[in-house]
Amino acid sequence: MSHRMRADARLLPIFAAIVVAFGFLARDNANLIQAATFAAIDAVAAIGLSVLLGNVAQISIGQAGFFGLGAYTLGYLSTTATWPAGIPLWAQFFAETALGTLLAAVFGVVLGFIALRFRGHYLAMATLAFGLIVVGAAKIVPGLGGAGGIPNIPYPQFGTLAISGAAAYWYAWGMAALAATMTFNLLRGRTGRAFEAVRNDELAAEAVGVPTRRVKIAAFAYAGALAGFAGTFYAAFLGVIDPNAIGVNLSIDLLLMVVIGGAGGVSGAVLGATILGITNVYGHDLENWRPVIYGVLVIVISIAFPRGLVGLLGRPRRTLATAQDVSADVPAAPAPAVAASRGESGGAPPWLRVTGVGKRFGGLVAVDDVSFTLENGSLTSLIGPNGAGKTTLFNTICGVSRPTTGSVEIGGTDVTGRQSHRIAALGVGRSFQNARLFGDMTVLENVLVGAYRTENATFASDLLALPLSRRSGRAAVERARAALVRLDLERISGVRARDLAFGDRRRVEMARALVARPGLLLLDEPAAGLNASERARLRDDLLGLRADGTTVLLVEHDMRLVMAISDRVMVLEFGRMIADGRAAVVRDDPRVVAAYLGTA
Amino acid sequence: MLQLVVAGLTVGSGYALVALGLHIILRATRVVNFAQGEFVVLGGLIAYAVVTNLHANVWLALVVSTASGFLLGLAYERLVLRPAARSGELTVTIVTIGTVPVLLYGHALVWGSLPLPLPFFSGEADAAWHVAGIEIGAQQLWALGLLAFALAILGVFFEKTTYGKAIRAAAENPLGARLVGIDVDRARSISVAIAIALAAFGGTIVGPITLVGGAAGIGIAIKGFVGAIVGGLDSPVGCALGGLLVGVVDKLLEGRFGYAVSDPVVYALLIVMLLVRPQGLFGTRRAMRD
Repeated sequence: MSHRMRADARLLPIFAAIVVAFGFLARDNANLIQAATFAAIDAVAAIGLSVLLGNVAQISIGQAGFFGLGAYTLGYLSTTATWPAGIPLWAQFFAETALGTLLAAVFGVVLGFIALRFRGHYLAMATLAFGLIVVGAAKIVPGLGGAGGIPNIPYPQFGTLAISGAAAYWYAWGMAALAATMTFNLLRGRTGRAFEAVRNDELAAEAVGVPTRRVKIAAFAYAGALAGFAGTFYAAFLGVIDPNAIGVNLSIDLLLMVVIGGAGGVSGAVLGATILGITNVYGHDLENWRPVIYGVLVIVISIAFPRGLVGLLGRPRRTLATAQDVSADVPAAPAPAVAASRGESGGAPPWLRVTGVGKRFGGLVAVDDVSFTLENGSLTSLIGPNGAGKTTLFNTICGVSRPTTGSVEIGGTDVTGRQSHRIAALGVGRSFQNARLFGDMTVLENVLVGAYRTENATFASDLLALPLSRRSGRAAVERARAALVRLDLERISGVRARDLAFGDRRRVEMARALVARPGLLLLDEPAAGLNASERARLRDDLLGLRADGTTVLLVEHDMRLVMAISDRVMVLEFGRMIADGRAAVVRDDPRVVAAYLGTA
Repeated sequence: MLQLVVAGLTVGSGYALVALGLHIILRATRVVNFAQGEFVVLGGLIAYAVVTNLHANVWLALVVSTASGFLLGLAYERLVLRPAARSGELTVTIVTIGTVPVLLYGHALVWGSLPLPLPFFSGEADAAWHVAGIEIGAQQLWALGLLAFALAILGVFFEKTTYGKAIRAAAENPLGARLVGIDVDRARSISVAIAIALAAFGGTIVGPITLVGGAAGIGIAIKGFVGAIVGGLDSPVGCALGGLLVGVVDKLLEGRFGYAVSDPVVYALLIVMLLVRPQGLFGTRRAMRD
């Protein structure tokens, strides 16, 4: 559990108690109740933005547009649509709410597609444009009332009860509670771990099988849906929706709520929305000063308190506390799992076949016409001087970059140019030269992300905390702990990855790759930076992997290690394969000696 | 039709300067400055203040406004962008967004929220020529001419002078630039200052035609960004041409359907471009990664 999740778990029950108490104590003060109702509506939209900004590190200043889609859908339908007789009013209202939310989610997907290609700020501009397009459309699309908007939207009617006044307060905070609970569930599950992984390191997330693009689109759709959901009740509660209500100011207000409260998770957004709800009541006299002050606050708080008020409230106690958290709710780790002896089935296609692969960057040929096939279950080393093209070759195999020529087959499937996560899904694990962990996540969480592709929880099951998600999460934790035990890492399972020593970092990366039991493991210089005892440990681990039947391709500079454990050694120089064979033979090959020592 | 093209080129020169400013700031700080349009408006308002309060010549106003833009840019970089950079690019983007309401409502507090007039550069009544049935105002020529002038100065500065090259180097590869002794922080603040000066300059030369002040800034920023994306964010010439093109498209649409339609359509153009041809008409694929 990240510190934000823990802050949520601690703060949300307190918020809920305050909301209930306030609802009773202030029930006769119409102004306060109304302000608190608006705060709840804003909180729903802000929760979505908080997830987007804090958990996935994507920015949107078009949330008012989604809000507007929801509001106008409900406003339009509730004033013009004629429902078949017999459908009660409350059912109509819920159907209209669902439609507005859905429409916003659909547009969230469209904006998410832009996020696939761009880093944050391009997208931010696109979201801003989107928000203004919705405002523009609201003004010119026939039937939406132009600048005056849609008036006379009826209050939702549940039997004889009209949802206004105190009832609206309870309904709006009910919506907020629903949004908060679902978001909390989502972030706690497989989806939340994928969000966090994408935020920390997209490349590494892809490499362990997280479909980063789909994850980002899902986040946009979710944030859009929550804003749309908020918009539906805004229109119903106010009784009118006009273009002014969904302008850029609302988007900036929402951003401010999230920045004040602290982006990421639920409680910051709720806190921020509540604070702004209060200042809006008492800030009416400020007129133009109000947005000026809000803007200054956005600037000052993002600079001085990047984690917002929630970050100030609950400074996390790290490491040990987390380790205990984890061990408390996890069953004892099972014995290290033994991977199925895949390699021994004679007729199986090879785990890796590389045919004529070349990669050029402009005029530079980094890899030139390399072909080889790995024998299943073998341990092969790829060596060569610095700059020989080893990592480049790795990247073309893993789908990080597309080879200029040639093809790559994994287990008989041509994967040339496929996305990394799809290659990972075929059972390929990898490590990076500089050990790319998800720095803000604990060791256990890092390894859990490695188990992403073995989990069967879905976005929906996470959202609703279905038993499927619970089972999937529990199984993943078991697998992750088994992997940690196997690599002797369970004692540091609660430590945040960025606080790890270098040698541990490498081993955690290995555990993250192994947890999904890859059939093919690609390791990029796993011994670099390790001390003697760590190297000995690595050697044992690698031999253990081979004994399990895992096919391993190792890029390494440590010759003693390579020569001691490799079934086969391939030598790359200037992008070409200059030697390939048993270790002893390759070691004495004059070309290899020349490549390493130079010729006289 | 041609009349609209001429009008479009005029407002387009403003967008071109915004696009260029965005390009320069993006290069230097790796973020898009959302407040760029507000600085355009502010530049126009400063010129207005110089003309009305000091009864000064509009040319002096142009100089004062551009110089104020430069100073504001220095302050903006030092007080807002640089402190935010410690927490990452996302935070820098957020503070540029936070700057929008500060400037937008801040200048409304000083100058009111209604657009204000700025005198024409060649005297009270704008001189006009009639060529092949099109009326071309002197101010329109001034706007285009001054855009060309600014482009030429920038071109010489960034391509020919050592300092300009150093700034480009600092933007391209901060670590490498630092190693050869370039003060990267200073280069960054000069870049931002130049970009904001360009915005103020643009606000002043287009001001007599569009009026200055009001809530135009966000629209200007987005249209400038559309211009930069259409032209290619990594190509300065592309940015300028893209800005002009957006101005023309904008005016043609406005002439045909009114601005209630043209604004959203131009904004939609941004989303379409981003989805279909993100590298722009003149940019390279590499730009997408930045």
